Order: sequence, then C-alpha cells, then structure tokens
Amino acid sequence: MSLLNVGARALLANQIALQTTGNNIANANTVGYSRQTAVMSQVPGQFTGSGYIGKGVEVSTIERAHSDFLTRQATQAASVSSMDSTRASQLASLEDIFTGGASGLGASVTDMLNSLSDVASTPADIPARNVVLTRADEMAARFNDAQSRLDDLQQGVKSQLGDSIKTIDSLAKQVASLNQQIARAQGGGQSPNDLLDQRDQAMRELDQHVQTTTVAADDGTMSVFIGSQPLVLGSSVASLSLATGADGTQNLVLIRGNTATTIQGETLGGGAVAGLLRFQNSDLAEARDLLGRMAMTITTAVNAQHKLGVDLDGNAGGNFFQPIAIPSALPATANTGNATVNATVSDPSALAPSSYQLNFGAGGSLQVTRLSDGKSSTFAGPLPVQIDGLTIAVGAGTANPGDSFTLKPYAGAAGQVATAITSPRALAAASPIEARAGTTNSGNLTVSALAPAKADPNMTGTVTFTFTAAGTFDVSGTGTGNPTGVAYTSGQPISFNGWNLTLKGTPKPGDTITVRAATPGYTSLNAGNATALLGLRDAAVFDGAPMSDGYASLMATVGVRTQSAKYAAGISDSIASNLETSRTSVAGVNLDEEAANLLKYQQAYQASAKMIQIAQSIFDTLLQGMR
Amino acid sequence: MSGNTTRLGSANTYDNALRQLTTRQANMASLQEQITAGKKILRPSDDPSGAAQAERAITRIARVTTDQRALEVQRNAVATAESTLGDAVKAMQDFRTLAVQAGNTSLTITDRASIAQQMTTLRNQILGYANEQDSNGQPLFGGLGSTAAPFTDKGSGVTFDGIAGQTSTGALSVPATLDGAATWMNVPTGNGVFAITQAAGTSTVYTDAGKVTDPSALTGANYSIAFHVTGDVTTYDVINTTAGTATQSGQPYTAGKAIAFDGLSMTPSGQPVDGATLNVKPSTTTSLFGVLDSAIAGVRDATMSGAVAQNVAQALVQIDSGMSRLQSSRGTAGDLLNRVDDISARQTDRSIQLEADRSRAEDIDQVKGISDFQTQQTAYSAALATYAQIKKQSLFNFIS
Repeated sequence: MSLLNVGARALLANQIALQTTGNNIANANTVGYSRQTAVMSQVPGQFTGSGYIGKGVEVSTIERAHSDFLTRQATQAASVSSMDSTRASQLASLEDIFTGGASGLGASVTDMLNSLSDVASTPADIPARNVVLTRADEMAARFNDAQSRLDDLQQGVKSQLGDSIKTIDSLAKQVASLNQQIARAQGGGQSPNDLLDQRDQAMRELDQHVQTTTVAADDGTMSVFIGSQPLVLGSSVASLSLATGADGTQNLVLIRGNTATTIQGETLGGGAVAGLLRFQNSDLAEARDLLGRMAMTITTAVNAQHKLGVDLDGNAGGNFFQPIAIPSALPATANTGNATVNATVSDPSALAPSSYQLNFGAGGSLQVTRLSDGKSSTFAGPLPVQIDGLTIAVGAGTANPGDSFTLKPYAGAAGQVATAITSPRALAAASPIEARAGTTNSGNLTVSALAPAKADPNMTGTVTFTFTAAGTFDVSGTGTGNPTGVAYTSGQPISFNGWNLTLKGTPKPGDTITVRAATPGYTSLNAGNATALLGLRDAAVFDGAPMSDGYASLMATVGVRTQSAKYAAGISDSIASNLETSRTSVAGVNLDEEAANLLKYQQAYQASAKMIQIAQSIFDTLLQGMR
Repeated sequence: MSGNTTRLGSANTYDNALRQLTTRQANMASLQEQITAGKKILRPSDDPSGAAQAERAITRIARVTTDQRALEVQRNAVATAESTLGDAVKAMQDFRTLAVQAGNTSLTITDRASIAQQMTTLRNQILGYANEQDSNGQPLFGGLGSTAAPFTDKGSGVTFDGIAGQTSTGALSVPATLDGAATWMNVPTGNGVFAITQAAGTSTVYTDAGKVTDPSALTGANYSIAFHVTGDVTTYDVINTTAGTATQSGQPYTAGKAIAFDGLSMTPSGQPVDGATLNVKPSTTTSLFGVLDSAIAGVRDATMSGAVAQNVAQALVQIDSGMSRLQSSRGTAGDLLNRVDDISARQTDRSIQLEADRSRAEDIDQVKGISDFQTQQTAYSAALATYAQIKKQSLFNFIS
C-alpha cells in the first residue's frame, strides 16, 4: 500500500508547507522576521528488480531566507544613519539658539553699541545713558540665555547618553542570553530560526545605539565588539559606562572584570552614542568656545575703552561689564607638580575660539596646543607666556616636567556677562583729554577726532604739535620722545601716549595743536569716549572681522556644521534604506508570493488527498474482485 | 529605490512608500513655512553664507538708522544755530540803528542814557543768543568743548568758556556745535587794520574810522596825532610811538581834510584844543560783546558831542565787522545744513541698497516659491493616488 503511504506523506508535507506559508503571512509585518520555507526532499526510493520506486516526499527542514552579508550591511548602514541623524537633530537644536534677525543675540550687541550714538549726540542726557544700560542688560541677558540653552543641550545629551548606555547594556545581555539558547538549540541539528531572527533584531537595535563588529563562532554564538573591545563574548557581557576626560570630553568605558578600557568617541563608526559624543565633544564645544570668545572679547574691549573715559561726575570710568574670570586650567590626574595655571586676557582682539592643552616639558618649557585646529606652539619658558591674546601664568606652586593642563577659557564665559555699572551717571562718555588749536593758527587745520585708545600713564600729559614749513610737525611732551619732522597726512590718526588724534586740513608753518588734560568744566558735554566706544563697532576683533559682524560669522559657522550634518544624515538615511530594501528582498515576506505558495501547496494538498482517495478506491476494487 | 531587486518585501515596500510620502510632506511643510514667513532662510543651516550676509546687512541697516538719527540731532542743532544767528543779526541791526540815533549831536545826555538803556537790553538779548542751546541742552556755540553756557558775563566783559575751533565734518556726520570763539569773540577793533581812539581828556576832535590807502606802506606801528593850537592856527604832529620818531610835524589842520601817513588815511572833524591827541593802533580782536559794551559806554558816558561822534563812528565800523562774523558763521551753518542733506540722501540710498542686499540674501521669491509649491503639491497628490492604487493590488483579491 505504498500509494497510500506516498499520499499520506505528501499530505503531511504539504500541510507543513501550508503552515509555513501561513506563518510567513502571519509574520509579514513582524520586525526582524525572516521568511521561512519548508524544504522538501524526496524519500529515497525502494530498490526492486524494476528499479527504484519513489516513496514520496518529506520536509527535511524549515529554511530561513537570510543573507548574513546583507543583514550585516543593512545593520551597519542603519547604525551610521542613526549617528548622523542624532547629530543632525542635536545640531538643529543648537542652531536654534543662534538665530539671526531682531530677536537674535547679534541684534542685542548691535543695539547696545548703537545706543551709544545717542549718548555721543547728547552726553548729558540721562535717558540716553539709561538706554545704553538697558541695552547692555538686554545683551547680557541674551548671552546668559544662550549659555543656559547650551547647558540645557549638554544636559539633554548627557541624559540621552545615559539612556542609550542602559539600552546597550540590556541589549548586550539579551544577545548573550540568545547566544546561550542558540548554542543549546544548535545541538538539535536544526537551525533555531526564530532565535536567530531575534538575535539579528537585537543586534540591529544595538547598532542603532553604537556600531559594533561581530564574530560568529562554530557553536552558533556571536561575539560583539565595540571598536576592538569585546562587549559580548559568547554568553558573557561587559558593562558600559561614560567617563569624562580632563578636557571635558566624554568617552565610553568598557568594564570587563577588573579592566576598564576607554573607547574614544571619534573611533566609533556609528550609532546614536557616537552621534551624541561627536556633537558634545566637537559641535557643542565649538559653539561654547565661539559664544564665550564673543562674550569675552566684547566685555573686555568695552571695559578697556570705558575705563579710559570720564563719567558725568568727573570720575575715571570703571568696568562697564563685570570682568569675566577665566577658570584655572584643569590639571591632569597624573600630574606630579602642584602648580595652578591661570590665564588672563591681554589682547581682546587676538582671542581664538578654542580650548588649549598645556604640556610642561623639561627645563620649564611649555607646549601649548590649540585644540580647535591642533596647532602647537612651544615656549622655552618661564611662564607667563602669551598666546592668542591670552597670558598664561602659574598662579601658585610649581609644575614638573610631564605635567599637563587643559585650559578652557570660554566654555562658560557667556553665562557671566553682566553689566557692572548701575547708575547712568557712571557711564564714562567723556574723554579725559582735549585738543586745542593754537590761537594764532593761520592754516585751516581742524581737529577731526581725538579719542583715548589704550591705557597710558602719560595719557593726560600735555603734548604740543608744531607744524613746520615742509608739511611736517615736531612733537614735544612727556612720553612722546619728542620726535621732529614727522610727516603729516590729513585724516590719518596720530598716536601718542595712548590716544589717537586725527587732524584734517592744511597747516601753515608755525601752527600748533595741543593735546592736554580735559578741562573739568567741559566734561559733562564731552562725548569723546562715547564716540570711541561707538568706534568699537568697527574694531577688528573676531579673527579680523569687526565687532558688529562677529555674530554673523558665529551664526554661519554653526549653520555650516548643521547643514553638513543634515546632508550627511540625508545621505546615510538613503543608503540605509536602500540596503534595508536589499536585505528585505531576501529576507522579507512578499504577500503575493505567499498567496501563490498558498495556492500551490493547496493544490498539492488536494492532489495528495485525491491520491489517498484513489488508493482507497483501488483497494475497494480489489476487495470487490475478491468477493 | 530598488534598482536591481526583483523580489520585494511587502512590509518594506509599505515602509519605503510611507517614508517617501513623509519626506514629500515634510518638504511641502517647509516650503509652506518659507512662503508664509516670506523668507527662504529660516535657519542658518538653510544657507549659512546667505544667513550671514543677511545678518550683516541687518547690522549695517541698524548702523545707518543710528547714524541717521545722530545726523538728525546734528541737523536740528545746526538749524537752530542758523536761525539763532539770524535773530542775532537782526538784534545787531536794531543795535546799530540805536547807535546811529545816538550819534545825533542834538541829543541830550538824558536822551542818550535812554538809548543806552535800550542798547543794553539788546546786548543782553544777543548774549542770550550766544548761549542758546539745542533741544538736547547742548550749547550751539560750544566749539571743541565748553560748559553748558559757554559765554559768561563777568564784570570785565564777556568771556568764552570753551575751546576755540570746530570739529571737521565726517563722512557721515557734521559738527553739532559751531565755533563760538570765531563767531562771537573775534571782532577786529577799528576798521580791521587800525583803530583810532581819543586820548584821555580829548573830546573836541574826532575822526571817522579811517581807511587804508596803500597796503604796502603799512608799518603796523602805534601812532599818536597831537594837535597844537597857536592863536588861530591849528597844526598837528604824527608821532610813530613804536619807533619814537616823528612821521609828520607841523601839518596844518582843517576839519574835514584827511590826515594821511604811512598808507593810512582818516578824516578828522571838530575843533581840537591845544594838546588834544588821537591815538592810532593796529587793529586787535575783541569780542562782539566788547564792541557792544564799548558802544553802550561810548553813548552813555560821553559828555561832549565830539566824544559821542568819535565813539559812534568807531562803534558802527566794529558793529559791522561783528555782524559780518555772525553772517559768516551763519553761512557755515548753511553749508553744514547742505552737507546734512547730502549725507542724508546718501544714507537713504545706502539703506535701500542694504535692504535690497538683505532681501536678496534671505527673502523668498514668492512667484517661484508658489510655483515650486504647486509642483510639489501635484507630485504629492500623484504619489498618494498611486500609493493607494498599488496597495489595492493583491493576489489575495483573486483567491476565492
């Protein structure tokens, strides 16, 4: 009765095939599910004198449609895409802090500087002075706001990193436990399809957070590595945490047993953690430095100019803004010396938006590395040394060779912007000096501008210019060195004793101009220093750009970063989606195909049933014949 | 999206189609945002260099606005100064009329005292003009720096408490204060070259303000003209007191006949007594108020009609010089006002230019924006329709 047997086997096999197809249809939308196929094979035939007679069909295994290569590719691409999109979305939040237009930080700086124009027009007008203070307060508030929003972003990044690391830990444990189950199941000789799907899916989720490499073992387990460090080895898991370096950058630390290994953020090829670390260590740090440098430059430059002036009550000007203190450099934990290293601003126009790495060498030498571009300068020592407008000095103690420090002058500077003067009368709008033309001057020489430019002990000393026949002048006065025969050019500033004097017109021989301390009674109507403060708008301070344009370049820098991150995210997203399509072209369920399979196996099943019916009917025929 | 893939995972095709639709929708939303805001740059990353350009243009526009405002303050101050000078000239003319009136020899001392009283009122009015301030309390005639009221009336006359001179006009600004010293404190005595005064005790002989007949013969020395009366004959000697030498001696005197020496000439009047002396000195400068004060004193204090005539003659010349100083300052103010108009026009052009720059950098071309939007809308509708059509197709529909 082999026909009956053959029919029964076929019935069974096709039922399994139908069930598998049904399973495919059922799991068509299950994430990570790989299409399964019932693999049928013929049962070896029975040898007879007339050859081998087929004994039907059997299901040898249920195969998982799967390509290791495509799965790996898709996972890696999704990991990169996750990194890029995480960074892009963080940068989008970052650039929202630096908006342009009237509500932006730049407008408040412009408004503050421009409001000095009214004081220059009407120096004794208290409301005009009050407007300057209000505008300065507004500017300070916007700086502080930008800083606190940066801090918020930083906090957000920190908590996201924490969440990601928790998720990575739990996924790693899941992979390890699946490894164990798979190894056990593998012993049965059949591939545990669903466990493998689950592990692939866990790996995909893991790679969303951090890119990994994997090594498959013969027992079916899969070891997972971050960089070159093992996260999962068979069924054992290492734990992951975050470490903050001396320079404030954060990195992953992998702890396995007693060994802790640091994985640098830059070495991670993908995953949200890589995106967050890159954003935090590079993008956010740069934004902080740019913003802090802007705050530092503006407050220092305005203070320096303001101190040169004289207020409405005839007193020398004080600080306009609260001076921003640069925090002491952070010593490395391995330092053997006990030095504290401080920095102060010596030239606000030369500041570079960067942090610095300081390494002490033999014989008191010092190597200073600018972290923004890696430019390194070596000084023979001893300290203080000057770099990028900063003076770096040892505050106390001594540094040993090999000691290193991280100096972050600007990271928190914008949060410290605050006005120092509270009374409008304290605004030092007047100039401490005045210029007088000789009473017997016969040329048409006029004083175009006279303003104090930098602190000088001889600032208010009397200096006389006497013009000679050749269109040159002789100078006499303390601190000038009394040069003679200086060439005169109309409209060109003449600088002595910390002030700049601009004369216009043509002098006659014998004409004199005297610069001397301002007459006290004229101070209240003098706006020389207000005009000089107004002139700071054009001072070349931000890498040569004028103060009023500093914000535009800051905005553009952040904008460019965001733009390129958006592009990168777009590209990696489309690569990831293409590779996912390729992967699902192998592993995914196509419902039309399954419908066809259903029909196919249904027909086969019906035919098998018919076979049994016929077997029965032949048997009946035989039995009737025997009756 | 799946170039050489022949087999498609159903779930993946749904996902992909959905992603495409979402992307289109996001693009449309962002275009709609741009059209609504009227800007193609909503965030710096939309076009970093365009955003920076726009920001710089906005900064410059704010600068132009600020400069314009400062310029308006200057315009007001200069315009006030100009009209104040106009008022001052008018007051000076009134003063001059009174001086001429006082020169009438038929007036009594009481009449002259009354005229002097009127002249004093005018003089105080003119001092008021000199200390005039603009609407912001800045003195109009402060020069390079001064107190709030630079002209102080002291017992010895009016002094200028400020720095003589005037700031140059800048590219975008004009000085808001005029040179008070040049306007009010720089009137030449006499006729501008020399001044003739009566020596103490001399009152019966007087002259006009004199004139220069030969500029090349001028010596710049002090002279005294001494009159001698012997019987009916009146003669005079001209002595160069600087050199201590006699320039002329024993010249016959006739009233109305010019006395001329060393390039100078003056016409004497009256009948000198023996020993009467006239002094001739090179012109110096005095303040306008000094001129007014001496005119008032000359009218009020003169007891003899000859002295009045001498004083009035001298005063009129000096008043005229003073008025010409005021007129010249008024001219300067007018020039400055013209310059303000020039600067203002230039700044307006510049601000239009900057506005155009800003607009080019960040404003959306609405026509293009709406056209783009409609294109996207059509594409989106098509995508939705085809999506629905394709997703309807399934083999299961045919299995019964």
